[in-house]
Amino acid sequence: MSFLHNYIYYIGAFGLIFIGLFIMAVKRNYIKIVIGLSILEAGVNLFLISVGYIANGTAPIFSRTGLNANNMVDPVPQALVLTAIVIGLAVMGLALSLAIGLYRHYGTLNLHEIKEQRW
Amino acid sequence: MADTTNLNPVLLIAVPLGLAFLIPLLGLISRKSAKWLPVIGFLFNLVLALLILPHSLKQPIIVEIAGFAPPFGINLVAGPVGMLLATLIALTGLLVAIYALRYIKEGAQQKYHILFLLLLTGATGVVLTGDIFNLFVFFEILCISSYTLVAYLGNRAGLESAVKYLIQGSIGSSLLLIGIGLLYGQFGTLNMADLAKQIGDYTEASVFIPMVLMITGLGIEAAIFPLNAWLPDAHSSAPSSISAILSGIAIEVGLYAVIRVLFTIFAVSNFFMFFTVLGVLTILIGEMSAFAQKNIKRMLAYSSIGQIGLIVFAFAISSQLGVAGGLFQIISHTLGKALLFLCAGYMIFRTGSMDISSFEGIGKKMPLTALFFTIGAFSIVGLPPFTGFASKFVIIRAALAKGELLFQILIGIVLIGTIIEGAYFFKLIQTMYFKGVHKADKREESPVTALIPMFVLAGLIIFIGMFPNFIAKILNPAASELLDRAKYIRSVLG
Repeated sequence: MSFLHNYIYYIGAFGLIFIGLFIMAVKRNYIKIVIGLSILEAGVNLFLISVGYIANGTAPIFSRTGLNANNMVDPVPQALVLTAIVIGLAVMGLALSLAIGLYRHYGTLNLHEIKEQRW
Repeated sequence: MADTTNLNPVLLIAVPLGLAFLIPLLGLISRKSAKWLPVIGFLFNLVLALLILPHSLKQPIIVEIAGFAPPFGINLVAGPVGMLLATLIALTGLLVAIYALRYIKEGAQQKYHILFLLLLTGATGVVLTGDIFNLFVFFEILCISSYTLVAYLGNRAGLESAVKYLIQGSIGSSLLLIGIGLLYGQFGTLNMADLAKQIGDYTEASVFIPMVLMITGLGIEAAIFPLNAWLPDAHSSAPSSISAILSGIAIEVGLYAVIRVLFTIFAVSNFFMFFTVLGVLTILIGEMSAFAQKNIKRMLAYSSIGQIGLIVFAFAISSQLGVAGGLFQIISHTLGKALLFLCAGYMIFRTGSMDISSFEGIGKKMPLTALFFTIGAFSIVGLPPFTGFASKFVIIRAALAKGELLFQILIGIVLIGTIIEGAYFFKLIQTMYFKGVHKADKREESPVTALIPMFVLAGLIIFIGMFPNFIAKILNPAASELLDRAKYIRSVLG
């Protein structure tokens, strides 16, 4: 059980990443693929944040005396996740607006029916 | 050093970024002014880059953002490679911005110019940054603007290609980010030089896995063989000015990131055989698919895949001459392919079709454009007075200098790829000049705003092709920067 206890965030993060990748690889509906992308991104963000996490840690601010730097969480991954969330938001907005255009032109969101561009 | 302080490489990123956000504000006053801002921005960038380039050849310029010394803050490294590529980006950006003055007439023009500026800001950022997460951020700026610009025309083909590109590209970015996270978890740093200093042996699983994730993620944008399914659709469905940027800049920047990660961070030296074979496969697949195409833009897009294969092959030789040849090939591909796409843009516009057979007699109808197209095609194929010949020659010399039988066989396959390349380009040129000459109607040349960029690109192709030593002065320090990892670490960390 101690393995689970120590690595639960990593297991959860990579679980989400693989679920997301699986959905993107298997599903045909574009909206479902976008959902898969969203799950994948959530997994990546969870993974990044758990890299810098310390159990019962505090924010890395010396707000009062007697705080020890060893008990503070690493602020860098949090900054990375903030950036990654913003980027993910932009990608998601673009992906969904493309879905609107796709539906207008083709009348379907099934990517197996939208195959006009060929090798 | 004193005079370099006011030539700050940060401006190469900050000025286009600032101008991109100025466009909507300026649009409140005058809607027509938007198209001039990219021209101004990249003219400034080109002049600044040319001023910084000689300094960076002597000593890489390290910029500490917000005054934090390198392992802690984000830093820019304006070394020979970074500045060479930044100059190339600024030059291509300027020429394509001039071209777009008349070419972009329909759709949301302001948004086009904003995204165009952002795309090249991202590209400049990737080549100049010295921080791995910063590289990811600039890479995303590049990718997201290119997804949007592929769908700019809003037609069926554009949307379908943009969707494909977005799905594959965002998986790639996620893989890259996981790789960065794994590296940060182990080494506690994001600075490329600091990472390079701490990573010893890349064959350990804990280093190997992030490396594979990062190379796969970046390889999607670089369109290395198994990861290039998005490229022909995206490059052929975008407006021609954007195809020129995607083919000439975006994939090269992706490739630069792959090479930087491999050479500098992980110091990979002995599984380059893998990349050599991958490069040769990419050449063959690209050239053979290009040969079968009826659509001119798809043909050019597949030809880009072939060229990327050649660049990968050159870098994988991993000798001084090979890396210099790879960088040289990047230059000649950027100039040649940008020229071809710009010419193809107006040829398609005048004939109203992308089908190769509709270009019969265009040599009479648009003589200058057809002439520039021919120069670009000859350079890509590698005929003597043009840059393509010089760069391919360097690569072949580097492969033969390896002295192994395998490299001699592989270079033979590469040359077969070049022959296929010649076959389809010559077929196209024959169609343009010698077929359907009887139905020569009145001349309809491209406008001056298109002819100027074409003339400059063609002039550079001939000039660099005739005097390759001129560019070798930059290529040699650039190749040593990529190969000499210890010097890179020293110059950043002091």
